[in-house]
Amino acid sequence: MKKQNVANISRRSFFKVTAGLAAASGITALPKNVHAAAPGSFATLIDLSLCDGCPDRGMPACVSACKAINKDKIPPISDPIPKPWPRDKMIEDWSKKKDVFNRLTPYNYIYVQKAEVDINGQKETIHIPRRCMHCDNPACATICPFSANHKMKNSAVVIDQDLCFGGAKCRTVCPWGIPQRQSGVGIYLHVLPDYMGNGVMYKCDLCHERLEAGRLPGCVEACPRKALLIGPREEIYALAEERVKQMNGFIYGKTENGGTATLYVSPVSFDLIDQSLKKKPGEPDMKVRIERRMAKSDNRGRAVLAAPVIGMAAGAVGALKWLSDRKEKTAGGDSDNG
Amino acid sequence: MAEKILEDKGLVIRHSLVELIEHWAIALSGLILVVTGFFQMPTANRYYIASIPGLAWSGDFFTTLKMHYVASVIFVVAAFFHVVFHGMRGEKGLMPKKGDMKTSIAVIKSFFGKGEEPPFHKYLPEQRLAYAGMAVIIVLLILSGLVKTYKNIYAPDMSLAVVLTATWVHNIAFILFFLAFFAHMAAIILKPNRPMIRAIFTGAVRLDYARHRHPLWMAELEGKAETTTEQQTPLVSADAEDAEEDTANTQAMQTTQEETPAGTEAATPGETMTKEDQINLERK
Repeated sequence: MKKQNVANISRRSFFKVTAGLAAASGITALPKNVHAAAPGSFATLIDLSLCDGCPDRGMPACVSACKAINKDKIPPISDPIPKPWPRDKMIEDWSKKKDVFNRLTPYNYIYVQKAEVDINGQKETIHIPRRCMHCDNPACATICPFSANHKMKNSAVVIDQDLCFGGAKCRTVCPWGIPQRQSGVGIYLHVLPDYMGNGVMYKCDLCHERLEAGRLPGCVEACPRKALLIGPREEIYALAEERVKQMNGFIYGKTENGGTATLYVSPVSFDLIDQSLKKKPGEPDMKVRIERRMAKSDNRGRAVLAAPVIGMAAGAVGALKWLSDRKEKTAGGDSDNG
Repeated sequence: MAEKILEDKGLVIRHSLVELIEHWAIALSGLILVVTGFFQMPTANRYYIASIPGLAWSGDFFTTLKMHYVASVIFVVAAFFHVVFHGMRGEKGLMPKKGDMKTSIAVIKSFFGKGEEPPFHKYLPEQRLAYAGMAVIIVLLILSGLVKTYKNIYAPDMSLAVVLTATWVHNIAFILFFLAFFAHMAAIILKPNRPMIRAIFTGAVRLDYARHRHPLWMAELEGKAETTTEQQTPLVSADAEDAEEDTANTQAMQTTQEETPAGTEAATPGETMTKEDQINLERK
């Protein structure tokens, strides 16, 4: 099986990386139980105690690796970009600002956010690589009207740019507003460009194709301090818990939005980090205990799934009653013409 | 149970209360589904629909999804009830018959003054075809909708091929449902069909109309049981009728008479049933 192989290969490369990290940082020992890994499902660990934002580089390594991998992803933009009626100002064009790397854009799927935190009267800067969290039950994917956005078995949440109309519903329902729109590209140009859709939504796809080929995501591979790790979900979850315990720190992404495939660990509380962040377009905050908003409709959804049984049972009861009534009537010499 | 001639009221019960409930459950929940389904596309904010006072909810995807689910429960229960209830009772009046397509074309031509209408059974051949068409659309909507619901709650990572299929079946069937709804409305606007409108509200059509246009059905009813004059409990009594509707029906009837070649026996009862007679009936 291809999938099995992919998972195995990836697991192996994961262990190479974590083994290297374990040796380099001395922070943690490698979990030894290889067989316990959940088949095919990955998670990422982002250790904020390790990330320093690459001060010696012009652009953090994870960002430049991501940019290099995705530099030809977006096809040429239509010129002029159709005006989305009746909201002309809704055009979002980043095609002339491809180099921007201090926020999320359609051309930039990861950036390193800086949080100035007060710790015991001392100002400290926390560097936070931000990208899609790849949620366990992502509303951005499940309620995409065209299923252009989908949660893969390997846990990556992937937008198919050939199917996306750029309506930005995914960004609206994402607690972090992650997906970014590029107008003037995509299938909407061939349908009703002025009236329906407005481009394509772009975001991190966890290097889904590289993962499938048994390679690491660009950001994970490039990080010089091994602040980013990827591996089988159970292993990463265990590793995150272990590190949190060791640093007497905090974890983010485990319960947020119903659970995600990205765990941040930090010696500083995420409440404190969030307080120093201001949510802006392309710059997510870090609110803790974010609930999954779609969970509120799950019970109604379960009622929908039960509805066929309810309907059939009611129909059968009604029809049986009618049959027995008719039988009685026939026995009594009366006939029914219903 | 349902179909019965009420000679003294000049009515024929065409639909039982259960059938009326089924119809309106599907119709009203279906309309809510169309609207809330439409708002699953990011249209409400873009087109300022959500800016209209009272329609702010239309721009909130979580709210419209909840509404879509609630309406789905009614829609799906009604659809499954319909199949099992009428299936077990062996009621097949709406199932298409051989030759319905050909007859339908003749009937539609007759609406435009070409040729004459054949005598009908309880349902017109195009009603049977429309029923089958709508049934197919509803089956597609329900099956794909159930897959999408299951995915939303339990399996966001289910096979992409399955999700894409369900999504596009749902989207295309949505468009077809919308078109079918319009065709349905267009059909009842046609004058010859108007006397049937009251049946979907009250359960009954006028006896003269039925004798004139549905002689095959009436023959069956009259053959099966003797015409009853005893007071049954009709769904809505003649008194409750809207005077306006009566006028419309009478006019429609007269038009039908004009369109049908004169001198046919079936046309005679229609002439005798005037609004005056109806009022007299009501006074009784």
